[in-house]
Amino acid sequence: MTETEVFFQQVIIGLSNGMIIALVALGYTMVYGIVELINFAHGDVFTLGGFLALTIIGALGAAAIIDPSTLGDSSNWMLLVGLVLASGVFCGALNMSIDRVVYKPLRRASKLTQLVAAIGVSFILVNIAQFWGGLPMEVFNDGVSATAPKDFPDVLDWQTNLLGEDSAIALRVEDVAIFAITIPLMVGLTLFVKKTRLGRGMRATAQNPVAARLMGIDTDRVISATFAIGGFLAGAASVMYAVFNNSITYQQMGFRAGMDAFTAAVLGGIGSLPGAMLGGVLIGLIRAMSDQYIETRWTNVVVFGVLILILVFRPSGLLGLKQREKV
Amino acid sequence: MAARFASFARGQLIALGALALVPLLDLALPAAGMESLQLAGASRSVVVFAILAIGLNIVIGWTGLLNLGIAAFQAIGAYAFAILTWENYPFQIGFWPALVAAALIGALAGALLGAPTLRLRGDYLAIVTLGFGEIVQETLKNVEVVTQGTKGINPLPAPFGLTSDRAILWFYAYLAILVVVVYLCRNLEFSRMGRQWFAVREDELAARCMGIEPDKAKLKAFAAGSALAAVSGALYAAALGSTAEPASYGFEISILALCIVIVGGIGSITGVLVGAMVMLGITDVLLPLASDKLQDAGIGSTANVFSSPNNYKYLPAPGRPRCSTPSPVSTSRPRDACWSRAMCPAGSSPPA
Amino acid sequence: MLVSGHVPSRQLTAGVIAGFLGVGLATAILLTIALRINDVWSASIVELVAAQQLAMQQARAAAADGAAVAPIPFDWTESARRFITTLLGGGLAWSWLPMIAGFAVGASGRAVIWSRTRRTPDVVASAGVARTFQNIRLFPELSLVENVTVGMDRRLSTGFIGSLLALPSALRERAQARAEALKLLQFVGLGEKAEDAAGNLPYGHQRRLEIARALASRPDVILLDEPAAGMNPTETVDLMRLIRAIRDNGTTVVLIEHHMRVVMGISDRIHVLQYGEKIAEGTPTEIRNDPKCIEAYLGKEELG
Repeated sequence: MTETEVFFQQVIIGLSNGMIIALVALGYTMVYGIVELINFAHGDVFTLGGFLALTIIGALGAAAIIDPSTLGDSSNWMLLVGLVLASGVFCGALNMSIDRVVYKPLRRASKLTQLVAAIGVSFILVNIAQFWGGLPMEVFNDGVSATAPKDFPDVLDWQTNLLGEDSAIALRVEDVAIFAITIPLMVGLTLFVKKTRLGRGMRATAQNPVAARLMGIDTDRVISATFAIGGFLAGAASVMYAVFNNSITYQQMGFRAGMDAFTAAVLGGIGSLPGAMLGGVLIGLIRAMSDQYIETRWTNVVVFGVLILILVFRPSGLLGLKQREKV
Repeated sequence: MAARFASFARGQLIALGALALVPLLDLALPAAGMESLQLAGASRSVVVFAILAIGLNIVIGWTGLLNLGIAAFQAIGAYAFAILTWENYPFQIGFWPALVAAALIGALAGALLGAPTLRLRGDYLAIVTLGFGEIVQETLKNVEVVTQGTKGINPLPAPFGLTSDRAILWFYAYLAILVVVVYLCRNLEFSRMGRQWFAVREDELAARCMGIEPDKAKLKAFAAGSALAAVSGALYAAALGSTAEPASYGFEISILALCIVIVGGIGSITGVLVGAMVMLGITDVLLPLASDKLQDAGIGSTANVFSSPNNYKYLPAPGRPRCSTPSPVSTSRPRDACWSRAMCPAGSSPPA
Repeated sequence: MLVSGHVPSRQLTAGVIAGFLGVGLATAILLTIALRINDVWSASIVELVAAQQLAMQQARAAAADGAAVAPIPFDWTESARRFITTLLGGGLAWSWLPMIAGFAVGASGRAVIWSRTRRTPDVVASAGVARTFQNIRLFPELSLVENVTVGMDRRLSTGFIGSLLALPSALRERAQARAEALKLLQFVGLGEKAEDAAGNLPYGHQRRLEIARALASRPDVILLDEPAAGMNPTETVDLMRLIRAIRDNGTTVVLIEHHMRVVMGISDRIHVLQYGEKIAEGTPTEIRNDPKCIEAYLGKEELG
């Protein structure tokens, strides 16, 4: 591989990872925009989406899918879309119920209280994921080790290079699938927030909850919807993550991926949807470049270093609005 | 009036006194024919984490800065202390000088992080401190030449020549340090410095209009909190005889400290003392006692999440790396392998 | 202090020492650079915003009647000292505060702007200009006496180390500050509540506490931003008495106020503003009879 090819290969990897990060980051940024809460549990909701997808695959019978001869079949695409939807709906419902049960009673409590509650929920979900990983199913290694990473079977063809077999740069079906699923979701979300009544309610609530309520917007419903949509995106992202990485584990998905996604949201300017998308892609690219040109073990240091540097010079993130206090 | 401010509050005296009595149970229970609970070691942890939480309380409770990376400064203190006392390094300056040096290095690190970032709004500061925590952890792990990587620096000489069988004496030595820390922090609380911190917490703009420079006040709070965290780290390393692996100073520890501050009532030193006893009583005394039963029920991991840092071990190796040449990093330290596809250097192609 | 078995050899070679000095030096340089960047950054903002504001004022004035209007809208000399000067104006009155503050700071020679930038308010405050806020901004969880002591901060000299070790000088200063704060609370009539939390005070008392806090810095000039807003008639009368007492103690008072009874009742001089420009200046009687002002602000009913 020439240097240029290596570079472009990393760009593809970075973009693919970045799109997944961006989807998770959208959930952070939407929730923050509406209720000013860092939803620490979001990364773990994302994890549980992956566990649900694996459970569904186990229930459907994994053998048919892992068979390499059927990898290119359209039924697998349908399975993928089905998993994305199922996992998305599950995570949306989960996120919404977390809000109802835990965050809603604390809405007027201090910010710190809410934050600690969110961290507590995160720990509970981590334990649920550990418990889930111990289920006696074949896909979970029959619960031999509840906490070990679980293999996620190949749903899509990952061997064919779409750029031709002799091309040094690999562009795989999986990469394309990620774009094919994440980009419509992002466009859809943008349109939803811009055009629909509920979306307008969201924007109004984000700007001024009290005024929004006085204008007749059911802010509780708006908040619920926000959590649901954020959860849906996380669920979709978790399936893409699992398909892309062939492995799910609560340790790396929950806290680690959550950190990356939250960093992305802050990098782009928390509360801003395009910011989260930009931040996600940027984090993905930075990770890929650092993996290649620095060293994998320094990647996390590089990511957070870049974050701190950017925040020092743009304290509200890249696309965030600067807040001024008028006296 | 001055006397009232300079001395300890009654609650603090009660809390410190109660803590001082706890290890005596180690002597009393065997004398009464019951099994010893080994409370001296747990009480020593209470002291270590109480100091950490008092440091966090300065930052979060008094100045209102959301710091989610206090464990990073504990790590800095522990490693500074270890490097200054380890027999393979040429310094070996002894316990007290190393403790003071660790505090100064912690304060410097806090100031270094704080200077450019303290004007960030609450949640941005939270993510920056969280990220800083990760940076410190990873760096300590990666700079193996200096820090011994995941092995940690050990063995460290025991302070005052105490061995593990003199746990009670050891505890009282630590308790004395805690008493000094509480005394100094109480001085700060009722001084001009403390008032500046409170004013900045309550209303930064109003404080500014009164001629206070919030940036300087915040920087001092951050440095003071970091220094205490570093002292806590040094005491932790000294007690363990090792820095333990860098992952022992992770997010969980920052959250444990946060919980200690909150459980006891944010902003109060007495509260921190009580909170430390409650939280570590749960994690270091009750959970180990109950852990057999918990393990049977399959939820033993709950204990791990909040348990003392050296108990928290990350599990080995993800199953099936896609890279044809799996990086050694991915097998030994799975925490790195978040986006595992990215682990494949572009030069290596997936196995056909 | 080392009591362990073997006595370690302290190999503090020149190389090791040099290495550590190097690291220390590098850290110090980094810290300096970080702080410096911060300062340069904020200073640039200060100048930028100041320049923008001045340009805006001048442009606005020029656009209004084609004539060049001096950027500093009124004479801030001895003649204005120890007066109660009221700025009477629409929504733009607050935009004059910077001008006044700027001139009070004087020495720096450039308009320093309240609350617009990262560092100016404390610079202004330390130059002897104190202010209150239109929407009260106390430190709600601190006691009254602590609130006032915060106002004194710029005159105190206890440093971090003094605070930490409770040095005798720090304790003495603290006792003095406390006594003075209690005296100030007496002056504004809140002496009995000194240990209550400020957040629990009724509205009118909160305003008084804010004034006490502003006075605590012993300012040359005190800016009161709509102090009578939301007050009932009794509270208003008390407030006017308090403001007069402040003037009589030798502090120049600048008032932004719309409440006619207050404005006409206590002002020594009034500057009337319309759309950010001064349309009249004079004593209450002169203003009362100025046709331009009547037209612009007071309205016929108010004059009766």
